[in-house]
Amino acid sequence: MELSLTVNGQPAVVDVPPGTTLLEVLRDELGLTGTKEVCDEGECGACTVIVDGRPLDACIYAAHAADRAEVLTVEGLAAGDELTDLQRAFVEAGSVQCGFCTPGFLVMATHLLETAAELSEEQVRRGLAGNLCRCTGYAQIVDAVLAVGRGA
Amino acid sequence: MSLIGASVPRGDAVAKVTGRAVYGVDVRLPGMVHARLLRSPIPAGRIVTLDVDDAWAVDGVLAVCTADDAPPRRTGLAVYDQRLFADDVVRYEGEPIAAVVAETEAAARRALEAIRLELEPWEPVAGPEQALDPATRLVHPHWAEYEVAPGLEFRRHGNVAAEMISDPGDVDAVFARAPFVVEDEYRANRQYQAYLEPKHAVVDYQGGRYTVYVAHQYPFNVRDRLAQILGVAVSRIRVVCPTIGGGFGAKLDVGLEPYAAVLARKVGRPVRIVNDRLEDLLTCTSREDAIVQIRSAVDEDGRILARELTCLMNCGAYAGDMPFLASIPLHLAGSVYRVGTARVEARVLYTNTAPTGAMRGVGGTYLTFAVERHMDHIAAELGMGRRELRLRNLFRDGDRMLTGQVIDQAGTLRQAFDRMEQVAPWAQVTAPRPLHGVGLAALIWLTNPMPGSATLKLNEDGTLGVVTAATENGSGAVAMGLTQIAAEELGLRPSDVVVLAPDTDAAAYDAGSQGSRTTHVVGAAIRKAAAEVRRRIFDVAAEMLEVSVDDLELVDGTVGVVGDPGSRVPLGEVARTATFTTGPIAATGAYRTPMPAHDPTCATGLLFPSFPTPTFHLHLAEVEVDPVTGRIHVVRYVVVQDVGRAINPTGIRGQIQGGVTQGLGYALFEQLDFDGARYRQRSLETYRLPTAVDVPRVEVELIENADPAGPYGAKGVAEPPVVPVAVAVANAVSDAVGAPFDRLPVTPEDVLAALEERRRRP
Repeated sequence: MELSLTVNGQPAVVDVPPGTTLLEVLRDELGLTGTKEVCDEGECGACTVIVDGRPLDACIYAAHAADRAEVLTVEGLAAGDELTDLQRAFVEAGSVQCGFCTPGFLVMATHLLETAAELSEEQVRRGLAGNLCRCTGYAQIVDAVLAVGRGA
Repeated sequence: MSLIGASVPRGDAVAKVTGRAVYGVDVRLPGMVHARLLRSPIPAGRIVTLDVDDAWAVDGVLAVCTADDAPPRRTGLAVYDQRLFADDVVRYEGEPIAAVVAETEAAARRALEAIRLELEPWEPVAGPEQALDPATRLVHPHWAEYEVAPGLEFRRHGNVAAEMISDPGDVDAVFARAPFVVEDEYRANRQYQAYLEPKHAVVDYQGGRYTVYVAHQYPFNVRDRLAQILGVAVSRIRVVCPTIGGGFGAKLDVGLEPYAAVLARKVGRPVRIVNDRLEDLLTCTSREDAIVQIRSAVDEDGRILARELTCLMNCGAYAGDMPFLASIPLHLAGSVYRVGTARVEARVLYTNTAPTGAMRGVGGTYLTFAVERHMDHIAAELGMGRRELRLRNLFRDGDRMLTGQVIDQAGTLRQAFDRMEQVAPWAQVTAPRPLHGVGLAALIWLTNPMPGSATLKLNEDGTLGVVTAATENGSGAVAMGLTQIAAEELGLRPSDVVVLAPDTDAAAYDAGSQGSRTTHVVGAAIRKAAAEVRRRIFDVAAEMLEVSVDDLELVDGTVGVVGDPGSRVPLGEVARTATFTTGPIAATGAYRTPMPAHDPTCATGLLFPSFPTPTFHLHLAEVEVDPVTGRIHVVRYVVVQDVGRAINPTGIRGQIQGGVTQGLGYALFEQLDFDGARYRQRSLETYRLPTAVDVPRVEVELIENADPAGPYGAKGVAEPPVVPVAVAVANAVSDAVGAPFDRLPVTPEDVLAALEERRRRP
């Protein structure tokens, strides 16, 4: 099954068997290992990517549904070495510990910041409730998102 | 400006926020092939048929392996009770029976399905009480033939894999004449570490050596345990650690590495193996379930005169590190509060469940749950204030634990109560409010003492290379703590310090990320190495500047005469001069915390005899319970913690917030419990982890009572915040509802049942 999609602004063509997930395409076919596999059932948000403006769990998203789609992953956030405000805030606020959940949180929070004019702490927490982090206890992640959300 | 106490962003953060960090599961080698394990679908039984012929025939399969092809020996940490594959008998659901390796993961899965496995199911030994019953079948009928690790002495019998007993002999007499005796039983279920990166390994076998790529907490233990299992010298194994996606104790022992090693040797290609989430959850060495019985003799003034504590710990099918953890009950039964004399017994029980093991706060979580719930019960029996009872019995400087260990700085506990009183005055927070409650819990915890080392080398551009097998488990101990200490010692920017990822071929021994040891132990090693590097820099610079070494200082990447900015020479220039005259500037430092003295006659089976570099903790939880849903809202959580010296306050806050969150999970949501001997929870949907909407922002109050041996006074920080949480919450819920909650987790159903019971009472 041949698919063509745009990932982080770059065109990509892959040939994968039916039943392949978007996560497998990203990690195994395109070598974009920033997006992580954790629960494999859409429970934890570690594999969150944006497909045509919508955040979704790549581990349960059929690759064929992403044919001709625009996909944004964690690797597509920074412009070269220039981090986004949110990435910088994550670095400074202590939002990163082991970092395995970080790509999913960054993609989800980037989407939250793009779709809401102003975010309260409650809104940030609700918006990130589908992403699991086992290290941080969330406070410093919420801090980083709020720092950017309030600065906007 | 000093870097000690500065919240410097961690060195690995940029790689982690850009998705460029390479984790263990991201490692790919040329020619790599894929392995999977056939695991037992039942908790107990006999293998009747295991026929792998059809698996060999599956397209793409390279090898199939069973107990017949694997090393024949039983190995382990304390008791050598485990083979790589079940041979005749399966002892837990998920136990490996066979392994396949194939060109693709899909082919490996097809091959597993082609294996013919027939089992005769047996009635499983399901829990510790059943295991202890003399009528119960033995999980290991040949236990007496098993070897024990050299140097260890402890009693074993039947389903008791290990026993620790301390009995000073005078306990019963004190109970007999005590004005009050208070007695309780507490139970806690298992907790899954639930690190996000599943267990995995890639092993390459070439030229008689195994190279293991695994994100692990303790690379040298992978080397040693793999050598033990394969029966080869440790020098035949090299362990290289990529970035790790969490561990919390579950990645201290070997996991999948031996299977990949056996298969890599068989097929001559690099073999990758990764658990799927169900396998990971079913077979992880989770925090053990335990039953704690506790009795205290108390006088009219609330003074504890004597105590008896008995602990049953479920180690599952194989003993693992649990015989060591059987010491923890003795340490926690009589620390924090004076208890007079005490008899403490701990038994580690074999059952037909997944082997359990270390998780952050080993044993401490449920033992503190027992001790501090019991304190609330004593206070209620005596009609005494809960805080007042604690203060009356509180340890003071120089008090002794039940092992005889003297706790010099125990008076820090009083400081912690005073600090808590400033931020959360007891009378104020406990002012009666309906369905609102407050809980307190205090703790003395340790800093793991095991050895570590670091080699510092001054690069020819003036930056510093650090070669160490200390592991950055996510806590920041390496990316913040060690980096800042090394930079501070040599007047460098943290960004000029480059720490090599662990590689057992390059670095000397290190005991891994466990028990909050890295900043404390390896930080001390770095300071020793830095002193030698500084001496070498000064020797060379003194010649270059024609001044005395006593006049020199290190500032901002330069060396120069004290107070004379014009004299400064960049360290790169010093390094280049040194390299091509006397030789490169490099030095190694090593450190191990001396074990505090204890009374060796205090107990038998005490494999973990004292609490080095103790730290002091006080937690307070405020909860509100919803009378309709039973839901428990933790509305306020305060931690007062002695850290010795805060190297990076942002990092410490993160460790405390994260540890408390794991504790809240253990208190309220998380549990592995059993349907027979099988886990009910089988995914991250049914195993419920705390989310961003479940946890409050923890208030953190630090006490900095320096440890004389720690780098800049630093003590262990990251492990203990998880420990007192469940009981602070359980005490708060008990206070709110007016009924005791003596079982973890405390669920909404428990709350509703207690409220209903209260309504029915006249």
